[in-house]
Amino acid sequence: MALKQISSNKCFGGLQKVFEHDSVELNCKMKFAIYLPPKAETEKCPALYWLSGLTCTEQNFISKSGFHQAASEHGLVVIAPDTSPRGCNIKGEDDSWDFGTGAGFYVDATEDPWKTNYRMYSYVTEELPQLVNANFPVDPQRMSIFGHSMGGHGALICALKNPGKYKSVSAFAPICNPVLCAWGKKAFGGYLGTDQSKWKAYDATHLVKSYPGSQLDILIDQGKDDQFLSDGQLLPDNFIAACTEKKVPVVFRLQEGYDHSYYFIATFITDHIRHHAKYLNA
Amino acid sequence: MTVKETYCSVTNLMPNTQYEFWVTAQNRTGPSPASECVVYMTAPSPPIIKSKEIQSCEEAALICWESGNLNPVDSYTVELTQAETPEPSGVTESVVGIPTCESLVQLHPRQSYTVYVRALNMGGPSARSDPVTIYTTGSCFHLNEHTCHPWLTISEDGLTVVRSERKTLAKEPLPSNTRFTRCVAVMGNLIPIRGRHYWEVEVDERVDYTVGVAFEDVPKQDDLGANCLSWCMRHRFASSRHKYEFLHNKMTPDIRITVSPRKIGILLDYENSKLSFFNADISQHLYTFSCQFYCFVHPCFSLEKPGCLKIHNGIAMPKHVAFY
Repeated sequence: MALKQISSNKCFGGLQKVFEHDSVELNCKMKFAIYLPPKAETEKCPALYWLSGLTCTEQNFISKSGFHQAASEHGLVVIAPDTSPRGCNIKGEDDSWDFGTGAGFYVDATEDPWKTNYRMYSYVTEELPQLVNANFPVDPQRMSIFGHSMGGHGALICALKNPGKYKSVSAFAPICNPVLCAWGKKAFGGYLGTDQSKWKAYDATHLVKSYPGSQLDILIDQGKDDQFLSDGQLLPDNFIAACTEKKVPVVFRLQEGYDHSYYFIATFITDHIRHHAKYLNA
Repeated sequence: MTVKETYCSVTNLMPNTQYEFWVTAQNRTGPSPASECVVYMTAPSPPIIKSKEIQSCEEAALICWESGNLNPVDSYTVELTQAETPEPSGVTESVVGIPTCESLVQLHPRQSYTVYVRALNMGGPSARSDPVTIYTTGSCFHLNEHTCHPWLTISEDGLTVVRSERKTLAKEPLPSNTRFTRCVAVMGNLIPIRGRHYWEVEVDERVDYTVGVAFEDVPKQDDLGANCLSWCMRHRFASSRHKYEFLHNKMTPDIRITVSPRKIGILLDYENSKLSFFNADISQHLYTFSCQFYCFVHPCFSLEKPGCLKIHNGIAMPKHVAFY
């Protein structure tokens, strides 16, 4: 699969690059960002996938989160894909900011007109890792995943639906129980149709209830002053209750004064990178 | 003593004692005037190392002992050998001229040492004390009985703390500077060496407990974590729910933990000014305080309900802890 380098910038001794390729799952051209730490010059490094939230592209995380220093120090390759297919000219995909373009919700759509292109789940869990493993100095056995908001939801469901695939998972202000919140109902209704049993397959709170797999160690940071938390879009209490019941280890930190923005992410990104490094560099 | 020779061995003298000797000659007429006096000091008795109070870490050990002598001696000598090397060919390191009954000795990590102490006076050195063995793996401390709240008992090995169902005293103890009087707590004696120290505490998930560190002069009438001289993790169990707080100066972050730890790992890092807590069984990081340690702190433990805490120390720092 041909990769076209779009940009490359040196950062903390490593290289922040952006590539474009023709995606098979999404049937369009897709960009992704990839940071190669200094250590990648001489050896294969573990891979950490970041999934962004609503309205983001591959640019937001690499320009606003301040993750580079920690990734450089811990020797992690960090990959940040886009949040939806682009330029597919589907009717209605730009009508709202929380559905369609920039709002893929990391599912494989089953409904028309979305099902041909909106296959972000398979893109993130299959196509992108295969592409990265083939073209960059990464160790295919050591992979972890994290994200923010819709991307936090994405990270949690990818880990819960694929026991053993990821060494660790973490999230910033994730959408924990999409079947019960406005965002989730709108997205799942549009991508997956009206059969709510199909929705549960992409809901972290439901997935945990039947999670059979090996120990996951989940770190979640949530801003206390996050308007989406008070709007009932995130519902972390439901996820925590389910994890307590199933004895899935979670440390959930409610951070006083912080909101939903990248200022919040930047404050705690080092803690998250260290959380993943502990498992990826073990 | 009457002897016919011009020499005499005097035995059964008291140790660490000054004796005057003189000789008189005797014939049928009577005794001669006394000769000049000569003064000799007997060597002291060997000291007794307080093995229960040894504090150690990977680079040093603090040893203290009882003099073993009623009267003062001039100084003490600590002798140590690495226990693997056999006695004759092994190197014995000596620390001499120690003026008091305690010594902080530098050691190498992950070794086992045999330690003796001798007392010294003008008469010479005492015999070696009974030895103690010190392992420089992890940090070792024992609980300090003098700080212990009356409702707590410490086990024989100094590492288990028990609060029994029935209170032995009906009323609250009087205020004290050394002994915890309100908070049912006890403090350990951690070696005063900067660096990193790690220990673990086995807890009962259904018991209310608090574990952490505090300065020696933490107010003993306060709860742990209620002032700026202590940092701790507190667990409360009520209505089948576990609640966790990380307290310093009465403040705690808002943290939820879904799997309640049975063994808590505690990392005290003087170099980076941090105190971290872990679920040791699953290598999960729970919380890290950033603290200003302007002087040395000690591990502290309290039980808010009847139950027990078992301390494990002398543990090499687990790999996952090194990330913090």
